[in-house]
Parts: sequence; structure tokens; C-alpha cells
Amino acid sequence: MRAPALLPALAVAALLGGVAGGLARLGLTPFGQGDWLGRAAELHGALMICGFLGSVIALERAVALKQRWAFAVPLLSGGAGLLLLAGWRDAGAALGVAAALGFVGVNVQILRRQVLAHTLLLMAGALCWLVGSVAFALQPPGMEPLPWWFALLVLTIAAERLEMTRLMRRRPGAEASLYAVLTLLLIGAAVSGALYGAALAALAVWLLRHDIARRTVRAHGLSRYMAVCLLGGYGWLAVAGLAWSATSLGWPLRDAALHALGLGFVFSMVMGHAPVILPAIAGVKLQYGRRFYAPLALLHLSLLVRLVPGHAGPALRALGGLLNTAALALFVLTLMAAALLWRARKQNVGVVRQKA
Amino acid sequence: MWRMSVDLPFPYDGPGALREPVEAALRRVVDPELAMSIVDVGLIYGVAIDATQARVTLTMTSPACPVIEVILDDVHDELGRVLPEGTTIDTQLVWEPAWNSDRLSARARLFMGW
Repeated sequence: MRAPALLPALAVAALLGGVAGGLARLGLTPFGQGDWLGRAAELHGALMICGFLGSVIALERAVALKQRWAFAVPLLSGGAGLLLLAGWRDAGAALGVAAALGFVGVNVQILRRQVLAHTLLLMAGALCWLVGSVAFALQPPGMEPLPWWFALLVLTIAAERLEMTRLMRRRPGAEASLYAVLTLLLIGAAVSGALYGAALAALAVWLLRHDIARRTVRAHGLSRYMAVCLLGGYGWLAVAGLAWSATSLGWPLRDAALHALGLGFVFSMVMGHAPVILPAIAGVKLQYGRRFYAPLALLHLSLLVRLVPGHAGPALRALGGLLNTAALALFVLTLMAAALLWRARKQNVGVVRQKA
Repeated sequence: MWRMSVDLPFPYDGPGALREPVEAALRRVVDPELAMSIVDVGLIYGVAIDATQARVTLTMTSPACPVIEVILDDVHDELGRVLPEGTTIDTQLVWEPAWNSDRLSARARLFMGW
């Protein structure tokens, strides 16, 4: 069961709005001016995490569940992104809560299939999305949605990686130590930025120690590329954790914390898994090639520019942000080229078979 | 000649002549992240083939995996290349018994450092 084309389109609209808003925050307005751009800048996090990444995760899960109603979740989260951009904040926030509630329902169905450690963690991630979205809608004093929304992404990735570690012989205590780290993450989201950051850094250490990427990086082709994405992402997760803790202790590292996590960690995962996920959710097959390393390298280098020299002044930080956007654009072009190459190769094989 | 087979990595019930081509076809279906066939990962629970139908019973390592449909399509395509024309292919995705690491082949265990 493939996703209706409208749903990826809504997620991409939220991504475009989110990127435009992020650039506007850095003083760059290549997409013109307008009230919508001010809103996109203000709601950059909501658009990127809930409108785009939340929708993509919900699409993945709906395709896995193979039940039509589950596609309502990315419809709601993508629709919420459009409403936010259009200036209907309350309606968009309400739709966001409905999307997160629906996603909890989807995870109930997955748990009905199999109650496993990683399916329980996926449910915990869904509940974090709900907590973050309720906080965004009701805006209770002292409660930030952002740590909870990031927890959706971090727990989802941790759950998926935990599932894959079953293919390796696990060290004693490995699973228990992961649960301890993730418990600290949730406590940190509720009460302490320093603890939240420490838990992120500890998770990076856990993933670097236990992930199958340590093995598959010795493979070849797509498998190796995915492992490189994962291992690079874990490095940024460690940086994000340290920067998050430092920010909560008063250091001016908020931009570094948010973007090491959102771009360095999460988008590395997106780049690594897109060649596998895109065929599953959109029915678009891709021809893998080494060209996939180009946007990945640009993402990591541009993040270095943004975080290291960019820390010294807004102009270099803006340059880093612009290069971050170039990395995402290059990745989209790489995906389009890979889809065209696969199609051309298939047609050639068809011609050869007909001649034979 | 029809027979049950125990020397394959999965139970096979069907014509002897199709045994090897069917195993080879299923070995061409690869988990993209692992660069390993679904046979080595231990996802195939059994294959039964009669005069009109081939039934493949298989599982996945996770019910939340979005690649399920892609793998089922690949199984369909690869078996379609080796089975006699007109044979219908039925893929049965099951969650019981749940997959566990005991199902990994010797080759997979070696690669994963067991």
C-alpha cells in the first residue's frame, strides 16, 4: 500500500516553509518577503519537526501498518504545517495535537502485532510528540515543546537502531543501559536541559558502541553508505548533547545544539535511509551510486562552518545556514537523478530482453 | 519428483526441480541496509509449491518496518522469473513465531561478528 501523492507533497511544503523560515532567521530571504515568511521564521521548529519529519515518520508507519486510516496522521500533520504558514496558529496547533493522537493510535496497532522492546520505544516517541504538541497548543508557562518534539525523533531513531542491534551479539547490560539513558532523556525534557543534553551525549556513545553500522561500514555500496550516515550522525548527536547541556548552563550555544541535533544527527539519518524509504512510501525506485556521498559531505562540512567559524559572527553563521540548505537541495537533486537512472536502466534491460 | 526438503535453510514442499531455482531467487532478495539476503537473515519460514500456486510464508524483523512491501514485491518479482508461467505467487506475512537472532544463517552470523 503506497501513500497517496498528496501526503508527501504536504510534508515537502512544510519542509520548504521550514527551510525558508530558517534562512530568514539568519537574515537571508531568497524566497522573497511576506507575512508568511515571518511566521515560517517564528515556527521553524514546528514546521521542520512536526510538519516535515513527523509527517515522514507517520507515512513510514502507515505504509508498514497497511491500514488506510493510518494515512490520516501525515495528512493532519502536513495540514497543520500549512495552517501554521497561513497564520492560523491555533487551528494548526490543534491539528498537530490530532496528528500526534492519531500516531499514538497507529503505535497501538503496531503493539497489537508485536510487543517488543523497540515497538514500545516507538510508542514512547509517539507519546513525546503528543506532549510536545499539547505544550505548543496550550503554551503552559515553563514548558517548551522543543525537547519533547526532538524526543519523538531521538526515540524513534533509537528504537529502530535497537531493533537492528538484535542482529549482533549484544554485550550484557546493553539494553538496560539504553533504557537508563532514554529515561534520563525524558526526565531531562521535563525538568533539566543539562540532563537532557547529557542523555543525548550518552545515547551517542551507546549507538557508537552497539550499532550494527560498525559492521556494515565494512560492507559495500548502499549498505556502507547507510553506515557512514549513521556513524557521522552519532558524532553530531554527541556534539548536540554537549552543546544542549552547555546552553542550559548559560553558554551561547543554542544554535549549535539545535542544528547539530536536527541537521547533523536527524538529517544524516534521513539521508541514509531515504534510498530505502522512498521506494517504500512513494513507490519511486532509486539507482544507488557514490554520488550520494556528495550531499552528505556537504551537509557535514556546512554544519562545521555554521558551528565553528559561524560561532564568531552572524555572517559566517548565515553562510553555514545557506550551505546547509545547499546540501539539502543537492540531496533532492541526487534523489531525482537516482530515480531517472533507475528508470533508464530498467528500460535498457527491457530492450536487451526483447532483443534476446 | 515431489518431496519435502530439510537441507534448505527453510522448509520446502514442492517439485525437486524447482528447489534450487526457488532458493536462488529468494537469495536475490536483499535487505538493503544489511547487504544480506532475506534467506540469510532468516525471514523465510517456508515455501510450498503445487501445480498452480507457490506460497511463501515469511516474517520481518519488525512490524513497524516500512520496507515490508518492497521486500514482498521483490519476492514476487524474483519468484516470477523462475516459476513456470501461470503459477500464482502468494506471499503470507506472519508475525508468529516472532523473528529472533537464532534464525540468522552461519554466513550472517559471521558477518555480524557472532
